[in-house]
Amino acid sequence: MSSSADDPIAALATPAASSALAVIRVSGAGSLELLRPLVGSRWDPASAAGHTIHRCVLVDGKEPVDEVLVAVYRSPRSYTGEDGAEIFCHGSLPVITRLLSTLGRGGFRPAGPGEFTQRAFLNGRMGLTQAEAVNEIVQARTDRARGLALARLAGAIEDRVRRARDSLADLKAGLEVLIDYPDEEQEAGPLIDLAGLREAREALQSLVASYRQGRVFQEGVAVALAGATNCGKSRLFNLLLRQDRAIVSDTHGTTRDWLEATVSLGGIPVRLIDTAGLRPSTDPLESEGIRRTREVMASADIVVYLVDGTRGESGTDGSALAEAGSAVPVIKAWNKTDLAGCRPAPEEFVAISAATGSGREELERRICEAALGGPPKDSTEPLVDSDRQRDLLVRAVAALDRFEAAHAQGTAADLLSVDLADCLDALGEISGAVTSAEILDRMFARFCVGK
Amino acid sequence: MEGDFDAVVVGGGHAGIEAALALARLGCSTLLVTQSIDSIGRMSCNPAIGGIAKGNLVREIDALGGQMARLIDASMIQFRLLNRSRGPAVQAPRAQADKALYALLARQALESQDNLSLFSDTVTDLLPGDDGKAAGVLTARGNRIRCRAVVLTTGTFMEGRLFIGEWSAPGGRLGEPAAEGLGANLRRRGFTVGRMKTGTPARGRARSLDTSRMERQEPDREALPFSFSGESVPRPSVPCWITYTNERTHAVIRENLHRSPLYSGRIVGRGPRYCPSIEDKVVRFPERLRHQVFVEPEGLDTDEVYFNGVSSSLPEDVQEKFLRTLPGLEHLEIARPGYAVEYDYLDPTQLLPSLMSKAVEGLFVAGQTNGTSGYEEAAAQGILAGINAGQYLRGRPPLVLSRAEAYIGVMVDDLVTRGTEDPYRLFTSRAEYRLSLRHDTADARLVPRGREVGLQTAAAEERLARKLRGLEEVRHLLRTRRVTTEDGAALAVIARHVGQSFEQALRDPRVLIGHLSEREPDLASRPAEWRALVETEVKYAGYIERQDALVGRFRGLEDRRIPGDVNWDTVPGLSSEAREKLRRIRPVSVGQASRVPGVRPPDIAVLLVHMGRKR
Repeated sequence: MSSSADDPIAALATPAASSALAVIRVSGAGSLELLRPLVGSRWDPASAAGHTIHRCVLVDGKEPVDEVLVAVYRSPRSYTGEDGAEIFCHGSLPVITRLLSTLGRGGFRPAGPGEFTQRAFLNGRMGLTQAEAVNEIVQARTDRARGLALARLAGAIEDRVRRARDSLADLKAGLEVLIDYPDEEQEAGPLIDLAGLREAREALQSLVASYRQGRVFQEGVAVALAGATNCGKSRLFNLLLRQDRAIVSDTHGTTRDWLEATVSLGGIPVRLIDTAGLRPSTDPLESEGIRRTREVMASADIVVYLVDGTRGESGTDGSALAEAGSAVPVIKAWNKTDLAGCRPAPEEFVAISAATGSGREELERRICEAALGGPPKDSTEPLVDSDRQRDLLVRAVAALDRFEAAHAQGTAADLLSVDLADCLDALGEISGAVTSAEILDRMFARFCVGK
Repeated sequence: MEGDFDAVVVGGGHAGIEAALALARLGCSTLLVTQSIDSIGRMSCNPAIGGIAKGNLVREIDALGGQMARLIDASMIQFRLLNRSRGPAVQAPRAQADKALYALLARQALESQDNLSLFSDTVTDLLPGDDGKAAGVLTARGNRIRCRAVVLTTGTFMEGRLFIGEWSAPGGRLGEPAAEGLGANLRRRGFTVGRMKTGTPARGRARSLDTSRMERQEPDREALPFSFSGESVPRPSVPCWITYTNERTHAVIRENLHRSPLYSGRIVGRGPRYCPSIEDKVVRFPERLRHQVFVEPEGLDTDEVYFNGVSSSLPEDVQEKFLRTLPGLEHLEIARPGYAVEYDYLDPTQLLPSLMSKAVEGLFVAGQTNGTSGYEEAAAQGILAGINAGQYLRGRPPLVLSRAEAYIGVMVDDLVTRGTEDPYRLFTSRAEYRLSLRHDTADARLVPRGREVGLQTAAAEERLARKLRGLEEVRHLLRTRRVTTEDGAALAVIARHVGQSFEQALRDPRVLIGHLSEREPDLASRPAEWRALVETEVKYAGYIERQDALVGRFRGLEDRRIPGDVNWDTVPGLSSEAREKLRRIRPVSVGQASRVPGVRPPDIAVLLVHMGRKR
């Protein structure tokens, strides 16, 4: 994030979760001009007056993405003080994701954490105290439930980071001595303490992983139920939901579109999506349903793929599994174990009966594990839940990985030191050490995106 | 004194030499005042120029149009390129000097310079003008020398005091008197003056040593000139020797610590952390069983040698006793004892990045007077102070080098922004962007800057243009020449790269430019330095790119200039600590302000808002 830039940025201003409406905010020099090609009608945002609102369809190329309302703001009378707009769209995650990526291709950079507020501050639209208050309100609303615990855990994260930082700083110091005192005899022992480096990397990596778990608990995951027609997806959907929402029948191809509902599994909000069954079809309506199933499978976080145990794995199943498995984690379930004609479940399948509910707990456990990327962490472990900290930790770990790879290749100390400096720079921004540059960014990085 | 000057340079050390030459070459009539013309260009401590980061400074001085590189090129008696195994970004040239020859050449350079006069006297005070600007100097013999710019380069002489064991006396260097009066007068005029300490080891007679009991340190076979001028002459090359202290050495030192002025509390000035005395090393690192000592010749026409690594202010009998415990030094004859020197320095945060005083316009300060240490650090500040005194006299804007542009920029920014607690030495690790500050790119970075101010010659500019064209040709050759099947058959290391360009092959860590040169006469015919430079570019491309991105972000805040007349009391929202620090440091850019200790990110945010979004 550049401190002084006013390049066009975009970000979701509302929580990244399903809701009736979502707001995407864009800001920066030329942002209204950039919107022009994304509007699928003759309306021209670039010539719109400030404080006006317009209905239009946003398009990705020629394809309509969503019908939206665009509120236009003109500098300096806007939140950031720059030209910009707020786009009110439908609050489904696929729509939001698609719109953000469309904006990205259209020339908008994803806003850094707190960047809108930073700009508001820089443009004199907001005092410092006010800017800090925005952050506090935002924090209070999203994290009220966790309140004090969160603050305590934040301290625990800093502690861990500081420990890693200190050991890496030692490593750096050693490297610098090598460089700045080339003639002098060095102390015995390995010149570069790889064991220490790896230990620090593990600690940081475990914090990165905790972010994922924190996010999963907060934002949930999308789980698509897929399989051939009549393998029992809708019945499983109802079973997991504990209500009759999907139409259950024995006719093949009943679910021609997809249905979704939210359920809490092990504390994780799970968006369950029941899809149209897969089979070769000539019915245009059903074919469309199947096409959309493939889309849903590809965009879900997890796919539960159901095979009818009385029929066994078919060619359709094989190709669908291969396709989905390359993109997302897939849990394979072997249904209808209650029927006499059911064959024994192969080893990699979870045996269930959607009709009787047997095997349900195991399936739920597997879904949670897949969502969390492993068994749930001990609740006393700190969870990283700020995007900024996560990004910094990822940057630090990536730098250490580059360091190790370069070291293994016999790269000279001057370059190894660059990677280590990158890493320390990132960690310094978490553990509070003052780094020489990017001062402003750090100050504002505590702010939520788009607020 | 009759015949007033544009500028007076006080001191004839490494800073004074560069400052005086720069001023005179810029066309300003200049007088160099020194206590002893015979002492011009003396190397008070080790007989070497260059080293890590310091070698880069020497080449930067040369690129700007300075003298140091030429002096050492013509007086070196050993050359080594350091850090060959630690990567080109941190490699640096270092040379042993013939001390007497170096000083003689320095004096000749000054004496043969137009616009430059030399005068032997001791400056004791500044003569301020009615407008508060620098207007001249007063000397011990009562001479009042009028001028419009003064450059102070007093080294260790300002109120200098020497210490050897229980003995102590005023002095600037062993056998040379201190410059008394100036420090007291500067204090009286309101300057913040502090004390610093440094030390030097004993010198011995080579004939008393047994080199068969030491390790031999070989010079490089080929010497690389420091100067980009290409005018170097062949020089003799002699070895150095390495020996070690041992438990007996350390025992002698420990038993006599109470006789050291450092440990008895008689020296108040801070010593250099990076170059501790041997008594410091023994006390602070008791677990070390030995310390390395380099035995370096002081010149070809002298029998004196320098013991690098054992500076000491212990009593002379103790120095002799502990030195004689070292292998090869059993029968050592000491020619001069080691000693500590304590001296006045001016807090460098009283200066602008041009090295001009904030309090007295026209007064410039350089070298150890600013709390630094080292010949190269001194010379680098000297040339910058000289250039900027010249700019000031001619009514032109100062030359300020950035941290991303030169080691000189890193050092000066550190000094004027953060100050220094102990004698400041440059390290490569002080530079955030050291990949961009390699010694072999100093000409490309700084010849244009030297030319801009009028110090560098047209010939140097042409030489640089020729080199840049040549580099472009080498790059083109690497991009277009492909590894053929014959190349692969002849040279196993490039066999896997058949069909690729030379540039692609060179990205392989195992492939060196030397390999490719074997296969391509056109490449082999290019100067080795050019080939090495392009090789570094190719191999380091990814890293250099990432660093350039950082440099870009750095420049963003450096380019936000803060007007000199800003009233910090009218900037709302600053913390009181920041307000006080900013008022004192008077940063010239938001970038510099952000590096002032005590200034926090919110203060910078407030500052940016106050300045508006002008770009």
